[in-house]
Amino acid sequence: MMFSSVLALLILLNLQPQIRAVEGLALRAYDYTKYHTMDEISGWMQQMEKDYPEVVSSVIYGTTYEKRNITLLKIGLNSTELKKGIWMDCGIHGNEWISPAFCQYFIKQILSSYKTDPKMGEIFKNLDFYITPVLNRDGYTYSWKDNTTRQWRKNRSPGTGNCTCYGTDINRNFNVNWGTVGVSKLCCIGMYCGPSVLSELESRAVTEFLESNRNRILLFLTVHSFGQLILLPYGHSSVSVPNYEELMEVGQAAAKAIKSVHGMDYTVGAASDVMYQTSGSSRDFARLIGIPFVFTFELRDKGEFGFKLPEDQIQPTCEEAYQGALSIITTVHDKTFTSAAFTITATLWTTLTAACLSTATWV
Amino acid sequence: MNWFCFVWTVLFSMVWQCPAAPSTPSPTAPGSTAQDEVECPSNCVLLIYSNRSTSEAQDPLVMTSTELNPDHYEAQRAAHAVRYYLNTLYGTPFRQLSFSKVHQARTEDLGEAGMKYLLEISVKDSLNKSSEKLCSAEVVYPRGETQQPPKVQISCAASLQLNTSAEEEDFYKRYSAADSAVSGKDIPDSYGHVDPEMVPFWKLAGVASTFIMLNESNENTLYNLAQVAKITQLESQNGQLRLEYVVLLHDMISQVIIIACITTSDD
Repeated sequence: MMFSSVLALLILLNLQPQIRAVEGLALRAYDYTKYHTMDEISGWMQQMEKDYPEVVSSVIYGTTYEKRNITLLKIGLNSTELKKGIWMDCGIHGNEWISPAFCQYFIKQILSSYKTDPKMGEIFKNLDFYITPVLNRDGYTYSWKDNTTRQWRKNRSPGTGNCTCYGTDINRNFNVNWGTVGVSKLCCIGMYCGPSVLSELESRAVTEFLESNRNRILLFLTVHSFGQLILLPYGHSSVSVPNYEELMEVGQAAAKAIKSVHGMDYTVGAASDVMYQTSGSSRDFARLIGIPFVFTFELRDKGEFGFKLPEDQIQPTCEEAYQGALSIITTVHDKTFTSAAFTITATLWTTLTAACLSTATWV
Repeated sequence: MNWFCFVWTVLFSMVWQCPAAPSTPSPTAPGSTAQDEVECPSNCVLLIYSNRSTSEAQDPLVMTSTELNPDHYEAQRAAHAVRYYLNTLYGTPFRQLSFSKVHQARTEDLGEAGMKYLLEISVKDSLNKSSEKLCSAEVVYPRGETQQPPKVQISCAASLQLNTSAEEEDFYKRYSAADSAVSGKDIPDSYGHVDPEMVPFWKLAGVASTFIMLNESNENTLYNLAQVAKITQLESQNGQLRLEYVVLLHDMISQVIIIACITTSDD
């Protein structure tokens, strides 16, 4: 009896490294060119935290109606000081499957490059990424239910009052021009803005996080499909951003970076000019509370497949969008931290010059 | 030489909006879009669209003209109306027309007659991807309470005309055989996949849908074919290939999905 238990224990101990190796293999084998279920994405997020503990930690910042955690991954080198941050969210609309696929790809890319790429290493040192791979977990899960639910856009909060339909468009529920343009007050429609402003758990969670970190967040990037667009705030045609020229310049550079990968054209402009008028969007809210750089990415395609982008386009879409995002991130980082570097360099030169002059012997 | 001339006549059935607020609460799936088995109603009103002929050019009225940014939504939506129009004329299962870019755009307010958009666009032909045609197009959206289709003209229409291809002839021959019973559903599937054999049927659905999309277009719409919910081959009459489609058309602006029943037959 004793012997067999010892034997069993020995076998188990021997298997442990293999199990871990299998897990590692499983992670490396995670297919970034396929769409994944909500459970698979949750599992992958946990694995990322386990595999990269020195740079990845998870933060639960809300709960959905169906009791799922709203979780982001905080990614960056640890620091004793509170660092500036970059916000990225994917999957605010359940049917935009390419969006969560991009967040997963993005995270994989930055984690596999921060040690070897000096620029990414510098970004990891100076900034923290706050990335939510799936913001609308209930809606995304519902869109996987069967082929009749594939186009589900909203969350899954139940209708209030006389409403017998489910769901509010989270991206019309934020406290910025709420309920004015580009929305429906009919609760069964896809663009339903909700019974009241910030009625939804998801928009409240994001709002609270952004508000408590507003002074630290430099860039807010929200990822959607489809349309091949890079959108600036605002969605309301009567409102324009004070740094429009700067945002256009940064956006155009990103579009150029995207085009250089696979030749795809992404149009840059204010949402109300280029796409349609909207109100209550997360992007508009982020700009309103003072985050200086704010963009929406609308990924591929232009309507041929629409929300049902084929899996063989996941890789090229992610590759080009990654270059676009990286272009913006690098610019924002350099605008913030190069001036500090300049000050240090200037101080150094001044000190050296002073030392030189003081020790020079005048003939 | 007997050239087949495919004239895709579209028999247009009832069009209704989805999702609509259900009148009685459904206990199983409240709020789900009515995409479960949709059958084409047997008592549909049938409208027949035949090949459109380009209307005569009219002297432009001197009205207020506004230059548009060609990348902004106003010009883009009008360009999509041109796209629908081109495909009603020349689209086939093996050839679709679209636009790559709007170069210039302006509007002319025609008052009671409507709003005219004048566009310079690059037309793309799926049969000849390397070359694009620069065309001038006009779209006039009528004014009024009820939806009326825009009137479209395009300068390069004649130059886009092609004879029926061998591919089209083979397709017709193969599927109009007596024992052919094509059927399918959910195209593309949730993963964006289309079975290679179903691609021409999917493309045909897109072309047939352009009749409806053009009909439903106004300055506040932008339609795309979201999905072929169902396709059934109907019994051949007079050797024609006849197909019945249930299609889902997505409007980008309102995010509303229209369900439409279309019957196609070729002459």
